[in-house]
Amino acid sequence: MSTWGLIKTVFFTALTVVFFFIIWVENPFTHHAEYEIPEEAEKIINDPKAALEGRELFKQNCTSCHSLRYDGIYLMSVTAKPEWSKIEKTMGKPLLEEKDGKIRVKGYFVPRDVYESVAFADLQALKASFGKIPPDLSTMYLSRGAGYLYNFISDPQKVLPGTSMPKLFFPEYDKEAPQKVAKIVAYMRSVNEPPPGEKAKRALMGVVTIAYFIGMGALLWLYRKKVVASMKH
Amino acid sequence: MLRRVVDWIDERAHVRDLYREQMVDYKVPKNLTFPYVFGVLALTTFAIQIISGIILIMYYKPLIAHAFDSTNFTIMREISFGWLFRHIHAAGANFFLAIVYLHMFTGIYYNAYKKPRELVWIIGWVIFFVLLMTALSGYLLPWGQLSYWGMVVTTEIPMSLKEAPFLKGLLGAIGETVSIWMKGGYKLEDLALGRFFGLHVLFLPLLLMILVGIHLFLVRAAGISNPDGYEIDKKAEPEKVVPFHPYMTLKEGAYAMWYLALFFFFVFFHMSHFLPADNFEPADPLKTPPHIAPEWYLLGFYEIFRSIPSKFWGFVAFNLSLIFLLILPFLDFSPIKSARRRPLFFIMFVVFVISAIALTILGTMAPTPTNAKLGMFFTFTTFLFFLSLPVISFLEWGWYKAKGGQS
Repeated sequence: MSTWGLIKTVFFTALTVVFFFIIWVENPFTHHAEYEIPEEAEKIINDPKAALEGRELFKQNCTSCHSLRYDGIYLMSVTAKPEWSKIEKTMGKPLLEEKDGKIRVKGYFVPRDVYESVAFADLQALKASFGKIPPDLSTMYLSRGAGYLYNFISDPQKVLPGTSMPKLFFPEYDKEAPQKVAKIVAYMRSVNEPPPGEKAKRALMGVVTIAYFIGMGALLWLYRKKVVASMKH
Repeated sequence: MLRRVVDWIDERAHVRDLYREQMVDYKVPKNLTFPYVFGVLALTTFAIQIISGIILIMYYKPLIAHAFDSTNFTIMREISFGWLFRHIHAAGANFFLAIVYLHMFTGIYYNAYKKPRELVWIIGWVIFFVLLMTALSGYLLPWGQLSYWGMVVTTEIPMSLKEAPFLKGLLGAIGETVSIWMKGGYKLEDLALGRFFGLHVLFLPLLLMILVGIHLFLVRAAGISNPDGYEIDKKAEPEKVVPFHPYMTLKEGAYAMWYLALFFFFVFFHMSHFLPADNFEPADPLKTPPHIAPEWYLLGFYEIFRSIPSKFWGFVAFNLSLIFLLILPFLDFSPIKSARRRPLFFIMFVVFVISAIALTILGTMAPTPTNAKLGMFFTFTTFLFFLSLPVISFLEWGWYKAKGGQS
């Protein structure tokens, strides 16, 4: 290859790589709001055991306004309805969990239209007092991220001024408030992220797949060299 | 045993003749460079999209009450490896467009759109257009905030015809009709979702498959172009060609494998761009998100539309940029082929590539006045590339004649 050819190749390759790096990996031209989490809270959020406590805290503190349908958690006022347990079982799909080596049903995933029809009056009542229906939190962790959620739940007005979400955890009265918030975030994380074992499996699968394709490419390349050499004679 | 089975088939279908004729006796230029691989990579990605798409259709429900949950609950959590197929499909869409863009830029660089390959380019442009439609309709299906509002913005674009300085009534009516026809009403609801679902899973892929078939046929009919820009007479210059198999098949096979390695790196370890966080919030028609921008592959065109102060002229400019791409073979009528031998064309090509990149990156940024001005500037340089082509061709015709018709 001539020098000029080399310059052109390097130029166009660099342009392509930089372009795709900017749009697919890290764009320095756009700013995303960053939310800081204290180290201690971070530790709790990443702890799968905290997620179990978080589920109970979520049920106690959040379900008067929010549901989390992907984990079978619904508005308190809806689950109190006498017909609900029947609706859940006939219209929903059981969500299974393994506990002490036994598989048990921890709740039901009820389709959105069914749930919203049953909960119609309750949701409208919430809308009347808050201005909008408080969202279902099933995928909120994925759309907002741990940092936003931790700061938002700790002090909603600070993160989103004017929001109708009330502050529920006061560190000045309850010493454990920050831990409780972190546990709730840990729970929301556990609903949306695969458990650690599954995550490790996926990573291993990825490494094996990538290694396979790199290896196959190399083998094809070597084979081609051999074939081309034999054809020249 | 296997040999006997093949013999049996061969006696009836003559597959060995077909193989020899199409793979071994088919000769391609010896000096093909790396960018010629993008065609094969696009084909690979198309196959990936079809396979992963078929698996996703089995679990997806095209109703607004179920669309979001069927993607994020059923596919991502209930079905074994559902997450993998969704990741493959989402990353595949982005890779498909990326490869198609690289393929197009390669074609422009080596002037692969010139006689006798004009039809290859035109059909290729139609594939690109249908692919954009497919990507756009597929983006709506998860029914997240970005899907919903992205489609709202897209279906509003024809409405900009209402601001036309002339024939206001007629153009406005056309724009509104197109917009309503796309949405199936004044609001994006089940009808629109059903329409886009049908288009995305059946009509557009079928169309793409047919078009890709025609594209490949035309490439075979006209012969592969050549980085040096000379047409090779395969019979007179046998030293300049090599058999397609094994030279090209094995080389491009190896490249395709390494491409898949890169692709699966993204699928397993870097999906945050291909499944953006904002789209994990269910669509809410009452809540407009602060930043709505189309996906990266449309940002260049979107920035042209956005940076021009008048909506109508923005609409005209972005359509014009698409049409200029279509009529490229006729804008550039120079007898000389390939940027390697055309210094003026090479300079304008670099200008074009840099403006396309700049427009796309500007599209990701907030629409401040400075950015709008920069957008206008790069829109201008983009059009400068297209409009300089007839001038360059005119000059090159002069040189060509001066040299006595030899390039």
